[in-house]
Amino acid sequence: MKSVDQINDDLLRPVVHTSGRFWVAVALLGSVVLAAVGAFSYQVWEGIGVWGIDRPVFWAFDITNFVFWIGISHAGTLISAILRLANATWRRPVTRCAEVITVFALMIGGMFPIIHLGRPWLFFWLVPYPSERQIWPQFRSPLAWDFFAIGTYLTGSIIFLLLPIIPDWALVRDKTTGWRRRLYRVVSLGWRGTPRQWHRLETAMHIMAVAIIPVAVSVHTIVSWDFAMAPVPMWHSTIFGPYFVAGAIFSGIAGLLLAMAFLRKLLHLEEYLLPIHFDNLGKLLLMMSLLWFYFVFAERLTTWYGNEPAEMAVFWTTQRGSFAPLFWAMVFCNFLIPFPLLAITKIRRTITGVVVASSTIVVGMWLERFLIIVPSISHKYLPYTYGHYRPTWVEITILAGTFAAIALLYVLFSKFVPIISIWELKIGGHQKPAVRAAEAVSACPSPAGAKGLELRPES
Amino acid sequence: MAHKWGMAVDLDRCTGCEACVVACRAENNVPTAGEDQAARERVIHWIRVERYWEGEFPEARLKFRPVLCQQCDAAPCEAVCPTYASYHNAEGLNAQIYNRCIGTRYCANACPYTVRFFNFYNPVWDKPFHLQLNPDVSVREVGVMEKCTFCVQRIKAAEIQAAADKRELKEGDFTTACAQSCPPKALVFGDLNDSASEVSRLARSRRATLLLGEVGTLPKVTYLEKDSWHSEND
Amino acid sequence: MERRDFFKISAITGAAAALDGCGKPEQQLIRFIPDEDLVPGVATWKPSICTLCPAGCGLTVRVMQGDAEVVRNGKLGLLRMGLAKKLEGNPQHPVNHGKLCARGQAGLQVTYHPDRVRHPLKRSGARGSGEFQEISWDDAVKELVSQLSALGQKNEAGSVAFLARPLRGQRRVLVETFLKTLGAPSPVSYELFDESVLRRANLLSFGQSQLPTLDLARSLYVISFGADFLGTWNSPVAQAIGYGEMRQGHPGQRGRFVQIEPRLSQTGANADEWIPARLGSEGALALSLAHVILNQKLRSPSAGHAASLIPGWAQGLPDYAPEKAEKLTGVPAAKIVELAQEVTSHEPGVAVVGGAALAQTSGLATALAVNALNELLGSVNSPGGIFFTPVPAFAASADPQGLPGRSQGQLAALNAMLQEILLDRPHSPKVLLLHDANPVFATPPDAHVQAALEKVPFIASFGNFVDETSVLADLILPDHSPLESWLDEVPESGTLTATVSVAAPAMLPLHNTRSMPDVLLDVAHQLGGNVSTSLPWKTYDEMLKSAFGELEKNVNAKSGDVWKKAQEDGWWSPSEGNVTGVKPRPVPSAAGRAPLTLTEPQFDGSPDAYPFSFLPFASTMLYDGSLAHLPWMQETPDPLSTVMWGSWVEINTRSAEHLGIRQGDLVEVASQHGKLQAPALLSPGIAPDVVAMPVGQGHENFGRYASHRGANPVSILAPTVEPETGALAWAATRVKISKVGEGKLILFAGGMRENPVEHQPR
Ligand SMILES: Nc1nc2c(c(=O)[nH]1)N[C@H]1C(S)=C(S)[C@@H](COP(=O)(O)OP(=O)(O)OC[C@H]3O[C@@H](n4cnc5c(=O)[nH]c(N)nc54)[C@H](O)[C@@H]3O)O[C@H]1N2
Ligand code: SF4
Ligand code: SF4
Ligand code: SF4
Ligand code: SF4
Ligand code: SF4
Repeated sequence: MKSVDQINDDLLRPVVHTSGRFWVAVALLGSVVLAAVGAFSYQVWEGIGVWGIDRPVFWAFDITNFVFWIGISHAGTLISAILRLANATWRRPVTRCAEVITVFALMIGGMFPIIHLGRPWLFFWLVPYPSERQIWPQFRSPLAWDFFAIGTYLTGSIIFLLLPIIPDWALVRDKTTGWRRRLYRVVSLGWRGTPRQWHRLETAMHIMAVAIIPVAVSVHTIVSWDFAMAPVPMWHSTIFGPYFVAGAIFSGIAGLLLAMAFLRKLLHLEEYLLPIHFDNLGKLLLMMSLLWFYFVFAERLTTWYGNEPAEMAVFWTTQRGSFAPLFWAMVFCNFLIPFPLLAITKIRRTITGVVVASSTIVVGMWLERFLIIVPSISHKYLPYTYGHYRPTWVEITILAGTFAAIALLYVLFSKFVPIISIWELKIGGHQKPAVRAAEAVSACPSPAGAKGLELRPES
Repeated sequence: MAHKWGMAVDLDRCTGCEACVVACRAENNVPTAGEDQAARERVIHWIRVERYWEGEFPEARLKFRPVLCQQCDAAPCEAVCPTYASYHNAEGLNAQIYNRCIGTRYCANACPYTVRFFNFYNPVWDKPFHLQLNPDVSVREVGVMEKCTFCVQRIKAAEIQAAADKRELKEGDFTTACAQSCPPKALVFGDLNDSASEVSRLARSRRATLLLGEVGTLPKVTYLEKDSWHSEND
Repeated sequence: MERRDFFKISAITGAAAALDGCGKPEQQLIRFIPDEDLVPGVATWKPSICTLCPAGCGLTVRVMQGDAEVVRNGKLGLLRMGLAKKLEGNPQHPVNHGKLCARGQAGLQVTYHPDRVRHPLKRSGARGSGEFQEISWDDAVKELVSQLSALGQKNEAGSVAFLARPLRGQRRVLVETFLKTLGAPSPVSYELFDESVLRRANLLSFGQSQLPTLDLARSLYVISFGADFLGTWNSPVAQAIGYGEMRQGHPGQRGRFVQIEPRLSQTGANADEWIPARLGSEGALALSLAHVILNQKLRSPSAGHAASLIPGWAQGLPDYAPEKAEKLTGVPAAKIVELAQEVTSHEPGVAVVGGAALAQTSGLATALAVNALNELLGSVNSPGGIFFTPVPAFAASADPQGLPGRSQGQLAALNAMLQEILLDRPHSPKVLLLHDANPVFATPPDAHVQAALEKVPFIASFGNFVDETSVLADLILPDHSPLESWLDEVPESGTLTATVSVAAPAMLPLHNTRSMPDVLLDVAHQLGGNVSTSLPWKTYDEMLKSAFGELEKNVNAKSGDVWKKAQEDGWWSPSEGNVTGVKPRPVPSAAGRAPLTLTEPQFDGSPDAYPFSFLPFASTMLYDGSLAHLPWMQETPDPLSTVMWGSWVEINTRSAEHLGIRQGDLVEVASQHGKLQAPALLSPGIAPDVVAMPVGQGHENFGRYASHRGANPVSILAPTVEPETGALAWAATRVKISKVGEGKLILFAGGMRENPVEHQPR
């Protein structure tokens, strides 16, 4: 049985104590990130020719990474918001992990529209700002829509993440001394846990949860429109909006599960992130896998029936041509492997099973993004212009850097913020149930506690 | 009356000689990629002569088709450009403003004809090749998209000259570098708003078609199909 | 230059200046006072002449002001001068009417090429090592003069040879006069695609040793026997202009075109019908057509003198009945009959012959057969047929017969000279002057050109590039680029108008070079005596002016009028303006000779050991290899294969499948005389028993863009000649092929077929 103190101890430990493992992780991940920064600098210095892109494959890893990471971001805020609104109580240990993913994945994905530029130093021309020349971005361009969509989603997600952290920071403030106390005093924004504050927090969270769902749906729809708005064979498709959103949630949940498993081991949260969480999210993943398969099937079938020559060229190159190995690998990764793993209850209830399924899905969804982009532009209408693509070390390093970056950000984040929402855990009562509701209520300065008690620092 | 510049490409005249390709290169300071970059599919030719095989030996046949920017009236490359670098000018030309281009390459993906070319590196002219650069045409730096401009420098020069002479531009005042060089006169450039111009006449030909017309880009280049071996007397 | 480089350089020069106190003056570029009157930003147009092939198209050069690094009086400095920016066709020129081919457009790069020889060079290392040192023009000319006068003192003044691409215009007159007065033999000409077989045939059939002018604009039916007339053969620009008119120039009347060749060329690609007749059987096919025409009485049988050279003509060519011809040519008899009927029912119809069809042991007989067919069709000197352009008495002054020796095979003449050298004959050349020819690259290995040239005591080259031949020179006296030179040209074909082209330099020289004729005149004067008096002019333009003076006398024009007009326009024709009455060159009567029997072509190598006929062909971009140094040409995709920056071996798709060869595989091509390697290109446009290779790559020494790139098909050719003329039969070698590894094929095209669905993998 977990007491409140136990929870406090377990969940604040990573914030207060820095283990050797932390430094090893930071060093390892940091060096990969630095390598990617180096690769990007090299690209800026030499010209984007150091990538493998060519004519006609003008986009490849860059926009794949963009779509992939924006997709990953869809697990967090969106899931968290839905679960909050649905009042799914099991969500409580999961929401913060998820919301963090959104913010970091968006930050990483959102860098690619800049990284991919031929002249990245002029990235601010994508931003609407009043200049003396009075030239605005062209609002007809989906790339300009991206700016607004991602900007809105990122802002919303940051707020959505930060709001419920405030009480936890207050807790850290109260539980620590020295510089930490001074730091957390500032960031906890004067949280004292008054009923008024609780009420405002609840209201704000509710509004944000309602507002963020359409934003999230719109973001990946707009990302899909980067493709669907261009008359490119197999891009110009009405299915792309929902297809991308479904894929995004799919990959997002898989990413979330991986992150949870990773944290569970690293931060010794075995008692908090329980198989039931993996099981529940696994069910969601199973549903998304089916939905993903449905979309791919619908897309392929309509293309095949349509039999439009230019589209068929792209179609065949993925089904049987040079992209077929990747295509079928994707089908295996996104459906044929995870489906049985997740459908068989016994396996789904093992964390390993869910983690294996999530891993293949993350790989599969990266491939899916790649296969949406490259086969189409390498087989665009006039066969004389067909082309090939092969990545260089620069692109591969940058890709590796994105994975390292999200892990690094995660590790750093968990250094500064309790990665599981302590106060929510306390209210909800830890499933198992390790902490009884009564205890939680009495220990938690929440409206649910009704007493409006302040949590005093223990001496 | 405003001009509407267009071109007609007579596939029955074109011999695939590629004089147009080299003429454009010379006129427009198109950089040389070199062997290594060529092997990486990064060669720039604002106009290319596509060749397509038909049939097998001994019935094999070949078709040539010069393809340059079609100067679409509904240009997909324009709508997607976030910075107005790809832009429709008052004469209906698809203009490319190198200085505004930040190199998203979106336009090149959106162009159904794949006639947009990217500067993956800064172009190099081994000295003294730089002396042959046309001072009327800017050279493009790394990270910038480029493509056929319908030799806009020639259009502007002719318009300025006509204005200085206080007269209207007339057919024959100038033409594009590719059309000027083309020996069998397969390329005809002119004003589509002038119904008497050669290009207008050809655009009304029974052989006139649009390349990828079904994509709805409203190209201003008309292709005149090859007459067949057996359709002599039509 | 990139901005970044500019900053680097400024920083370096800045630092250097700081270190040196004030900077050494010799490190700073002098600014020369401009001697041209140019308005910045405003283009002027100057006439010139394209010299990249014998067609002699007229140019107008767009000249604009710019700052160039130049050498003047031995000093490097910056000069604001007129720079050629673009070459256009001269709109009024009778050959090309304002048009240019791809090669002509790239001619600009010759002038600005970074690997030009920029000053006179004297060999400093072993012969062929490519090590030279810079010397002054005075010393260079002195050196040549002393070599020549040394010969004179040894009474060997005639032991001088001049090896060049066929010289034209007054340059030829100058060189011939120079050699003649020294007592030396006429210049030896060499280029790979030697047209002497066709010249000889035309001389025999029609009394003209010229290439024909095709009046395609008015033709309704064209049968071409292997002539790449839209790409590289004869006067391609003029012919392409005519072709466009033939196709769509006359409403409701579209001329038809049939190409007969074993590998589809750029020209053949435009044909309505491609007939891949067996290589070397073109003559038989022509005679079979004649047989059908004669026997079906589709034309009157009289075919003039041309027919008298064909054995069996009077009997209706019984040996060439379509069924018999089918066996020789591989073309179905019914097809032959159909062709004969079509060509006669579409008047005017014309036959053209050239290229590989004539590069055979049976080449002359083949050409005679096609000539007779043309005569039978009534297409000689008739609208829509072939004509022989009248040549004004301008360049022919040294030889009233005109274009003499041009019907003599060039390889034979070259061989004769080489043999003299190799066998140390008494009057073998002791001093060899080399101009613009590259026989080391362009002759089969068994001609032993390099070995022979290495034995010549002294070689001076006028080349403005170091190539495989001029690298052997002891002295290099670099010529101006054509745009920097006085040029003149008498087009022998491509126009129905007698034409003389002339052009003053379009721009000042960039480097410390001198025009070859000027140097030769200088040498003549320094030698003194006869040579000096027979060449009284100080500079080549004076010589041109005096030649024009002769012309003016001929046409009773006011002195200087023609000279002035020609310079303004870039060309002049006796039928232009008010000057009329020039007599066309007298037509010599055909040498009476016995009819020539068409024999089976002989190939080097047995069909068992060497199963493929080897077909080298002129590259649309690199021509015969003399343009391989131009990056624009290297980077322009071949029209059919779309290969850039390299060679390829073209193999029929199915033959390759049988041999397990795939696209891009490195293939070894071996003849009895050598072997080479190049990547395979599979094509449906080539006969299964032929492999083809473009000529042009495989240079060992031709500047940074061409050297060590691809393979040279000439290097495996047998030294077979057409026996009557002694011209190299460059399409008479057999080879075998085998896969040896992975090759590198740089293609511009992605797909082969127009319908995207055909690209679906099977
Ligand atoms: N983009 C831009 N344009 C500008 C300006 C700017 O700041 N930026 N500034 C403007 C101003 S203020 C000015 S004054 C103008 C200057 O414009 P210009 O008068 O065009 O100036 P420059 O380029 O200095 O040179 C004129 C020419 O004179 C030649 N020259 C040099 N010495 C002599 C000589 O002794 N005799 C003769 N006959 N020729 C000689 C030079 O070689 C050169 O070709 O530019 C104006 N234009
Ligand atoms: S120059 Fe004219 S004929 Fe030659 S390839 Fe171009 S369009 Fe065709
Ligand atoms: S052809 Fe391509 S580049 Fe040209 S206007 Fe149309 S879409 Fe734009
Ligand atoms: S590459 Fe340049 S022109 Fe094209 S869309 Fe991007 S900014 Fe616009
Ligand atoms: S119109 Fe001008 S820019 Fe366009 S392809 Fe022709 S020469 Fe090049
Ligand atoms: S055909 Fe081409 S290379 Fe020959 S002279 Fe004319 S422009 Fe020059």
